[in-house]
Amino acid sequence: MFAPGSTLWLMRHELRLSWRGLTERRGRGRGRFRTLWLSAILPLILLVTAGLPLSFALRRVQISVSPISVAIAAVIAVALFTLMLSQTLSAAVDALYERADLDLLFSSPLKPRRVLTVRFLAVAVNVFTLVGLITTPVLLPIAVTGHPAWLALEPVLFSVSLAATGAGLMIASGLFRLIGPRRTRTLGQVLAAVTGAAAFLLGQAYNILGRQQAGSIWAVIAKRIADPSFHAPPGLDWPLRAMLGQPLPLLGVIAVGVGVFLLANQLLGARFAADAAAAAGVGTGGGRARAAGRARFSASAFRATFTKEMRLIARDPALISQVLLRVLYIIPLGIVILRQAGTAQALALPGGAGALSLIAGQITGSLAWITISAEDAPDLLSCAPTPTRTLRQAKLLAAILPVAILLVPLLVPLTVMAPLPGVAAALGCAGSMGMTAALNVWWQRPAKRSDFRRARQASWFVTLMELLLGIVIAVATGMIAAGQFGWALIPAVLALVGVLLLSRSDAQVAQALRAAS
Amino acid sequence: MTDALSIRGLSKTFGGKVAVDDLSLTVRAGELYALLGPNGAGKTTTLRIVAGLLKPNAGQIGVFGRDVLADPAAAKQIIAWAPDEPMLYDRLTPLEYLEFVAGLWGVAPAQAQAKAEELLKWLGLWENRGERCEGFSRGMKQKTALAGALIHDPQLLILDEPLTGLDAAVARQVKDLLQARVKAGATVILTTHILEVAERMADRIGIIQNGRLAAEGTMDELRARTGEGQATLEDLFLELTGAEA
Repeated sequence: MFAPGSTLWLMRHELRLSWRGLTERRGRGRGRFRTLWLSAILPLILLVTAGLPLSFALRRVQISVSPISVAIAAVIAVALFTLMLSQTLSAAVDALYERADLDLLFSSPLKPRRVLTVRFLAVAVNVFTLVGLITTPVLLPIAVTGHPAWLALEPVLFSVSLAATGAGLMIASGLFRLIGPRRTRTLGQVLAAVTGAAAFLLGQAYNILGRQQAGSIWAVIAKRIADPSFHAPPGLDWPLRAMLGQPLPLLGVIAVGVGVFLLANQLLGARFAADAAAAAGVGTGGGRARAAGRARFSASAFRATFTKEMRLIARDPALISQVLLRVLYIIPLGIVILRQAGTAQALALPGGAGALSLIAGQITGSLAWITISAEDAPDLLSCAPTPTRTLRQAKLLAAILPVAILLVPLLVPLTVMAPLPGVAAALGCAGSMGMTAALNVWWQRPAKRSDFRRARQASWFVTLMELLLGIVIAVATGMIAAGQFGWALIPAVLALVGVLLLSRSDAQVAQALRAAS
Repeated sequence: MTDALSIRGLSKTFGGKVAVDDLSLTVRAGELYALLGPNGAGKTTTLRIVAGLLKPNAGQIGVFGRDVLADPAAAKQIIAWAPDEPMLYDRLTPLEYLEFVAGLWGVAPAQAQAKAEELLKWLGLWENRGERCEGFSRGMKQKTALAGALIHDPQLLILDEPLTGLDAAVARQVKDLLQARVKAGATVILTTHILEVAERMADRIGIIQNGRLAAEGTMDELRARTGEGQATLEDLFLELTGAEA
């Protein structure tokens, strides 16, 4: 279809790899089929549930260019840019370190700059595709029923994804230069997670700052915008005008997106290839020799295994960023709970305590999967004289301890300020963490630790059960926190029965592992 | 003297496929034994069963008199297993890796520390002891894994294709190390496709085919069996396995 070696041919190659990566993320076989099915059905659902109703509601609505609408459009554009940046930054860091195919492409007669341009462009296209999958089914009926110009939102979104790609590349390359290859990998992943959560945290301003303080900030902003003497900075109205399909602003926004992308490409193209080559030597730096004197030999297999797991967790940037992302979601929740406890407005406490137990269980589940199933040297453990039970206990402790350490600063003051909800939250967290840890032991699914980068590879069944039982435990926790002990028995017993039904003996686990190997 | 390894009537099937078929062989204490055979002959399966990684369908295995199937922990205590793909953690340093492996085998800390230093120096990894394995070459990884296999001073060292992918210098280091272990009284069993290595290093050679022992003995015994006085191991191997050159 395309001439071999051409830009479009390369682009098709990149997009095919991206698509396969996406479907593999959801598993093989039936998992892949599910992804395909969801890709087809999700736009249809959006079309019926959002696109058609909105097209009817908005068919006669005209959006005027007012300070308020300009500000809202600008905030939306910034939020989208931030979300896209988290993905493009992560992709740029990946491109630096996962370079096996880059070696192949660079060793071919293709021009390296073309290879990199296409790779960067593929990042932008992928990010845009994910957003477009959601916006297009909503936008299309609106455009058909009266606002065809609003279709301009799509090129605006693509421009934002181009700009986010350029920015992501520049940040990754800048980090590489500033802090070196090893730290770039860690910091880049963490930064991507934090950037992605920034929009969420912004949306939680009411919870974090308190309704009164946040409200006053928004009030000041609204008042300032509504002031007739207020003049938006030049160009601030362009995102809105571009979204509404006005030609000149639309061209301007596209020019900015394409410009940032091309600038990054021009500035970093050659340097990026050199950085990728330098990243290959990561791990051989002399700086690590400092750790040499800190070896702590121990005759205890439990201690040795626990130490090894903690080291591997601490040195896994992808894992840290994923856990950090979930921790970020705890922050507003924790602040709400503590504020409610402090002001004796205990209405939100039961819900908060339940949600906390659910999140604690989910984080433990991720770590338990990593320590139990994602063992990179299973044969080494199998041929060691150490009992499996000892190894498993050490691995579970390594999964539970970091979460417990995260929870203590929240649970201790909560228990002091509001004893019942505090104890309920602690019990709920313990129950939820124990449940996910146990499920990960009983339903192990061995995989390479490096696979975690693509996605958690636990079986969908375990993931679903973790979530369902986590919700049931959260409900029980909330009821205990509210003092409804009798009612709390129902979900508590349900959770217990669920856990018992899912339990497996050591022999059954061993048999399942043998069958899987 | 107790045999280092005694296998009697060992069988293993995967699904309907027979991997090891009523295999019996003996490895004497203090010898270097080379287990050879074509691809898929059952060498690795046999060794994995001895190392406690697979359960056989039938048979008995003794390691220095310890029953591998009845008391695997006791047998594992004196065995080391080193497969062709190094069993490593990329994000650990060699010293941390040895620390972990020593813990698994319950080696006393002081002894483990001294042994780790000795092994890493011997294998030329001492300067790299604080660097993560992820940046290591194949040879460095193989040597790190080998150090891990030796940290608990095993009486029986089992190696599956230990020289695969190594350059000449590293391969020489590994061969020297294995011979030194044998001189020190350990028993070494290795599989290899490099027949010259087996011919030069092994005290005795076992040739396995279709899961059964096709021939066993010293080079002279194998030559006598085939009636070819000057034959190389390659000649003997091809004749005994019925393969064509």
